[in-house]
Amino acid sequence: MIPFQFVTAFLLIFMGIYAFLYKRNLIKLILALNIIDCGIHLLLISLGYRLENGVLPTAPIYTGYETLKGTPMVGPIPQALVLTSIVIGVCVLALAMALTINAYRHYGSLDINKLRRLRG
Amino acid sequence: MNALPFLIIVPLFGAFSMPLIKLISEKVRDIWAVIISAVTLGVAADVFYTIWKTNKIIVYTLGDTTPLGKGVGFPIRIVWEVDLLGALIAVTIAFVSLLAIIYSLEYMRHDTGLDKYYTLILILELGMLGIVITGDIFNFYVFLEIMSIASYALVAFRNDTWEGIEAGIKYMFVGSLASSFILLGIALLYGQYGTLTMAYLSQYITREPTFVSKVALAFILGGLLFKSGAVPVHMWLADAHPAAPSSISAMLSGLVIKAGGVYAIARILFSIYSISLNIRTLGWIIIFFACLTLIVGNAMAVIQTDMKRLFAFSSVGQIGYILLGIGIGLAAYGTDIGQIALAGAIYHTVNHAIMKALLFLVAGAVLHEVGTKNLNELSGLARRMPLTSFAFLVGAAAIIGMPPLNGFASKWLLYESSALYNPFLAAVAVVGTAFCTAAYIRVLFTFFGKESEKVKAAKDPGKAMIIPMIILILAIIIMGLLPWQINESIMIPTAKMLEESGKYVLAVLGG
Repeated sequence: MIPFQFVTAFLLIFMGIYAFLYKRNLIKLILALNIIDCGIHLLLISLGYRLENGVLPTAPIYTGYETLKGTPMVGPIPQALVLTSIVIGVCVLALAMALTINAYRHYGSLDINKLRRLRG
Repeated sequence: MNALPFLIIVPLFGAFSMPLIKLISEKVRDIWAVIISAVTLGVAADVFYTIWKTNKIIVYTLGDTTPLGKGVGFPIRIVWEVDLLGALIAVTIAFVSLLAIIYSLEYMRHDTGLDKYYTLILILELGMLGIVITGDIFNFYVFLEIMSIASYALVAFRNDTWEGIEAGIKYMFVGSLASSFILLGIALLYGQYGTLTMAYLSQYITREPTFVSKVALAFILGGLLFKSGAVPVHMWLADAHPAAPSSISAMLSGLVIKAGGVYAIARILFSIYSISLNIRTLGWIIIFFACLTLIVGNAMAVIQTDMKRLFAFSSVGQIGYILLGIGIGLAAYGTDIGQIALAGAIYHTVNHAIMKALLFLVAGAVLHEVGTKNLNELSGLARRMPLTSFAFLVGAAAIIGMPPLNGFASKWLLYESSALYNPFLAAVAVVGTAFCTAAYIRVLFTFFGKESEKVKAAKDPGKAMIIPMIILILAIIIMGLLPWQINESIMIPTAKMLEESGKYVLAVLGG
């Protein structure tokens, strides 16, 4: 059976792609990019929760936890990856917002269809 | 003493010390940017020479001496792994970046916020160098994003014009979507195999190639084809590359689509997947996209009236040749034909970086002096700007593939291998070159035609813009004089090293 986190993650990714393809407002496009990223982050995080001997591992991770609670701990690498990826996502978001403000100054509109002056 | 980490440390230090250095004076800031990129070129050359001399892959582990974990038999740390291909591309990147920085000393003089510009350009260089030296797939993604974010910002650097902003926004949306696909592919690979080290991943995939690994490959390949500007997803390239400042266009067209595009495709296909897949089918998929790219890119170049846009479409076409070489190298894996095709692709990657950088620097010089890049207004430029026109002549002749210049050797290798593999592909490649020739002949006629009003006051630009062009012309001519020696001593060993994925794995995991 597919775990429900994976289903949710792919639903988020497809929602994001749908919005990216069919929305025309620049802000909505930026949100769509973020939703895709969120879906991938959810997928990555849920990869850390593997069943070990039929026991679901628990967060948080710290030394001595296994002996304390008797359950294995979650994989630490996906959390590090997601943290890195979130930072990258914030950079892209900030740059996208800055460019959107500039685009509004030049074109007076946030409609991506109005950004059509480059031709050839 | 291993010089490899300094390949990242030097530009990183240079980039973020730039705002402080600027406080001293603007002159010092300019010199600082040149010094940093020159030192980077030195380090890259040293790394390349070491690998070429010993014919061994360099492995560097961050924070330890061995990539393997304590008491366990598998790598747990971030690994940098450089083979001859990575080092060769690194030298090209450092070389073209240095020239682009020297060029912008004069070209960007009238702009403000130049400390940010030099910071971004060094970060762009750092990101590309990171991509070519990394051996960890998530580290690869991080460097890819560093490179991409710097290039989105640089395309939109002149934010007082609508052109840069519109191109920047388009580039950013397409590029971010592609990055997301690549991240999704990496997440799937991690979920399946539980490791991120490329060498270890390769071992796992060879042992059990699952359905998920193929889906992951599809996502990663899709994202990378986006980033390298292959048809049918090339439209962002034709907008972004002309709209950027010309020194940046030279780097984008010459380097970014190679490091973040075709180099990454070659690395993923040959080093990680290689023999675990149905290699002929995969090769033909790449060949299909390559043929489409090289016909459409070159044909679109013919009908452009904007000079930089013409060069950008020509870049799309040339990416098609490189992909063709990689595709044949994959489809004819293990044979002599495959090796020649791969050597041709690598050779053309280096050559195209040099030629297209020269052409964009020429376009920048024309834009700087005349103020327009519309071909209809530029006729008769040759008499007013003789040096620039000569540079264009050399660049155009090289990109078409005229015999005494460097483009000839790499294109010949590609024609030869494609004709031996499948004559139809050679025909497609020659048709692509015919379109390419038509496009450049048109610009040539414009340059040498009757003098128009606009170009009356034009003259050759100053020293800082001429010197990089002269160095690139010399590089083209020298590489053109020794085509087969370079091929024998550098390109063929590089292709061989790329094909032997077993060595790539053993270098990290130990024999």
